Amino acid sequence: MLNLYLFQILNGLGLGMIYFLIAVGLTIIFGLLNFVNFAHGAFFLLGAYICYTAVSLTGSFWLALLVAPLVVAALAWVIERLLIQRIYHLPHMFQILVTLGIALIIQEASVMIWGPVGKSVAVPELLRGVLVVGDFVYPYYRLFLIVFSGLVGLGLWLLLERTRFGALVRAGSESTETVSLLGTNIFRLFSMTFALGVALAGVAGVLFAPLRGAQPFVGPEILGVAFVVVVIGGMGSFSGALVGGLLVGVVQSLMTTLWPQGASLMIYGAMAVVILVRPYGLFGRA
Amino acid sequence: MSEKNPLPFAKTQSKAMLLWVLAVLIGLPLLLPSATLATEILIFAMAALACNLLLGYTGLLSFGQGIFFGAGAYCAALLMIHLQLGLFTALLGAAIAGGFLALLVGALAIRRTGIYFVMLTLAFSQMAYFVAYTLSDWTGGDNGLLSVPRPEIRVGETVLLSLADARAFYGFVAVLFLLIFIGARRVIASPFGSTLMAIRENETRASAIGYDTRHFKILVFVLSGAVTGIAGALYAMLLHFVPLSNIDLAMSENILIMTIVGGTGSLFGSLLGAGSIVLLGDFLSDLWPRWLMLLGVILILVVIFMRGGLWGGLASLFEKVRGTRKSAVVAKEQGL
Repeated sequence: MLNLYLFQILNGLGLGMIYFLIAVGLTIIFGLLNFVNFAHGAFFLLGAYICYTAVSLTGSFWLALLVAPLVVAALAWVIERLLIQRIYHLPHMFQILVTLGIALIIQEASVMIWGPVGKSVAVPELLRGVLVVGDFVYPYYRLFLIVFSGLVGLGLWLLLERTRFGALVRAGSESTETVSLLGTNIFRLFSMTFALGVALAGVAGVLFAPLRGAQPFVGPEILGVAFVVVVIGGMGSFSGALVGGLLVGVVQSLMTTLWPQGASLMIYGAMAVVILVRPYGLFGRA
Repeated sequence: MSEKNPLPFAKTQSKAMLLWVLAVLIGLPLLLPSATLATEILIFAMAALACNLLLGYTGLLSFGQGIFFGAGAYCAALLMIHLQLGLFTALLGAAIAGGFLALLVGALAIRRTGIYFVMLTLAFSQMAYFVAYTLSDWTGGDNGLLSVPRPEIRVGETVLLSLADARAFYGFVAVLFLLIFIGARRVIASPFGSTLMAIRENETRASAIGYDTRHFKILVFVLSGAVTGIAGALYAMLLHFVPLSNIDLAMSENILIMTIVGGTGSLFGSLLGAGSIVLLGDFLSDLWPRWLMLLGVILILVVIFMRGGLWGGLASLFEKVRGTRKSAVVAKEQGL
């Protein structure tokens, strides 16, 4: 019995790391660009579908893991250049509506391309099978999820904290004007950050595909989960996204054992409790 | 002139508006191929109008309207199926269900402002969907809630009017719509309405003057939820069926899009928005099942190029026509 809980907690950590990747992308975009991306779930969806196509064409999940986020990022770059750059100055309400429009377009286009029925993606051959430690059994792919997302998270942290690009992004979220006055092409920085944030959603989509496949209408659900994470952890905070993501993943996973039908429900319950007790999130300041 | 004596001007304008609404209500079933389609338009116009109270008049962008729509639909349907309640009690139940849920969602979401508020309404919308999905014994889950009756209007045991006929039901919905429209106009014209608009314009200032803005926001949320609940109940009666999609996020988005396309800040705009989107959907859904894509494009175009929506577009067109006519008159008078 204890093993079962341990198993679910580990499962939850894997799921939580995926949620972290989604939420941290949302958060980076909001932090620097002060832009609310309601199309984030749709880009996640696109990542999962491109993964499906790449795997069925080449047979290699690893190639898909490389290519899908790049394709999603490239698309995000184009959309940012053509459309989103024009609406940075508008109030959040209009940004939300435009990105909602983008999300609808991506979702319907995905159904047109890949059909209304979900596609399944096989777990890569290398990661099939289970790890056995004593009488504890754990699938390799889940283990890979934790390790890989952890590495991506670490890389992202290093990128944001230890590189020139990261310094510019952080400086930009304090004051875009100053950064721009100091001679940085702020619009290129914006495009890159938007593409980076969206690429993280794409990575999450690829990692998610072997678990639940690519489903055409999963976008809103993922967006809802990302918002729960962000409400719990606070928007614009790397550690908030990490802790929020893991918390949501573990809660959802544990609830799958206790009350399978209500598992998805409980994460929203958790959010409601956080809002009641700490309206500004676990790490938020009033 | 309107500055000197704003009230009579506003009054004639409001009367003209009511006449327009009456004209639309009478014209819809005559012009459209089916009364059912006309009824659908009015039902969604009701929901859009309730959304407009939040978005257009209070500045609250809510992704939770589907919660109240779906809750109203389920509540009325369950009351009619299990308790054999009549038309008006079922509608009242729907209004209470919608209002009560709006109180819950509002009280929680309004603890935060700005984008967090929007994100919370969206998250609660997802939650409501999962609740409806989980309680499949009551809601029918994925299959939906079947065989919802459409009760007749009766006093005691005497049946006054059967609503089985599509035209009769349209008439009933039209009367309800008119009452709600007039009620909403009253609310907006009242001091309560002015306070809402003050919150929309500058919440900090409104609260600095001494208004408990949270209180006002929750109240308008409840009002909006109750009206949306009634719309949901009517929709259940129209379809004789409550699909799970009534409470999902797409419903919230649809209501929001109708409101924005019609034009925020004008109640007549909501009627325009609901009418055009429902008609577009009815026309396109057979030809092109992925027509929602077009809705996404329309939404983007409206936000970028026509932020006043259809109503704003019409109004500025009207102003232009009147302006050129006026300048023509002036030119004539000056002998040019």
